[in-house]
Amino acid sequence: MTQASEVDERLSQLDSSDVMSAPRSTTQTRTFAFTFGIAFTLLYTVYERLNWPLFTWQPAVGKMYFWLHRPLSGEGPPMYWYGWIALAIPSALVVGWLATIIPSRWLYRATIFCCALGALWPASLAALRIYIADWATFDADFLNSAWVAAIPAFAATIAITNFVSSRLAERVWTSWLLIVPIGGLVVLGNSLLIYFVR
Amino acid sequence: MDIIFSVIREDMFWRTLLFCHFLMAVALLAAVTLQAASVLTSARQAAGNFIDRFSPVPAASYATVIVLLYVPQALLGAWIYLKYRLYVRIPMEQLRHWWTLGAFEFKEHIIAMGIGLLPAYWYLWRDPVSDEDAGLRRWLTVFLAVTVWYAFGAGHVANDFRGIGS
Repeated sequence: MTQASEVDERLSQLDSSDVMSAPRSTTQTRTFAFTFGIAFTLLYTVYERLNWPLFTWQPAVGKMYFWLHRPLSGEGPPMYWYGWIALAIPSALVVGWLATIIPSRWLYRATIFCCALGALWPASLAALRIYIADWATFDADFLNSAWVAAIPAFAATIAITNFVSSRLAERVWTSWLLIVPIGGLVVLGNSLLIYFVR
Repeated sequence: MDIIFSVIREDMFWRTLLFCHFLMAVALLAAVTLQAASVLTSARQAAGNFIDRFSPVPAASYATVIVLLYVPQALLGAWIYLKYRLYVRIPMEQLRHWWTLGAFEFKEHIIAMGIGLLPAYWYLWRDPVSDEDAGLRRWLTVFLAVTVWYAFGAGHVANDFRGIGS
């Protein structure tokens, strides 16, 4: 009788632990899936723009090179697209996994920080280039650098991240899942304009 | 590949793959279009009369099919892309078909974005479907439908340049 009641008690404990753990695993899956989507689309855009493929495939000669490879004479055209995706997937998997182990409020802030930086860094570089070309009255070529552009970009990103309230950061978090891929496509599409204006 | 080409002619092999790519694209197009139409009309249906409320498409049941078609379709496209790079894109550049080329380049990016969003899409449609993310689920479904439609259109134009029946 005592054993039976102990078994009942353990079973009820197991049941209650399942009830407790189910929402947690669901939340973790949600966090992972959403973060993966945001990180992949952001990183794919960044890797494409910086031309950082994990590998380069040379289809004419059937050779694969690690990272970026400029084709040698007779090797034919290189293919980087596989390499960008191959780098974006593991990067996004790591980001997605990290998202499941950090507190939610950090995740929301980190998402805003990364997305804002992803938008402001290239925007800052573009603004500097416009300034150098159209406005500068001195030799400002030293400003034409991604690292110089990083300074105002980081400053503005930190300001935005601090300015946004926790409540707003939480509320807009899922929206990044649409904003980032659409924004990424705008950036990538803009880089293809050369084909449409020839 | 040499084993395959000893059985089937190389050009026939690639044309067969391209045709399979087309068939899968049609199936995927049908599934995403029905689902997108379903999520876009659901709000109106809920407020309408009996006939308006009748929904012929159980939208959630399409999600698994779409994921199971999207991934192999993207992989098949990535395989055929090898042939495209050498035997389609180079003549495209030589004949100055810049619009077709640019449109196909954009297809690569839009499909990559679609692949990245698939886990979230799958999560949003898994059973039981929550009301919490209804808006996100709707627009993510529409986004995926747009990616498939765009890819189909751009792929079709590239095929017309140099592919089956061109």
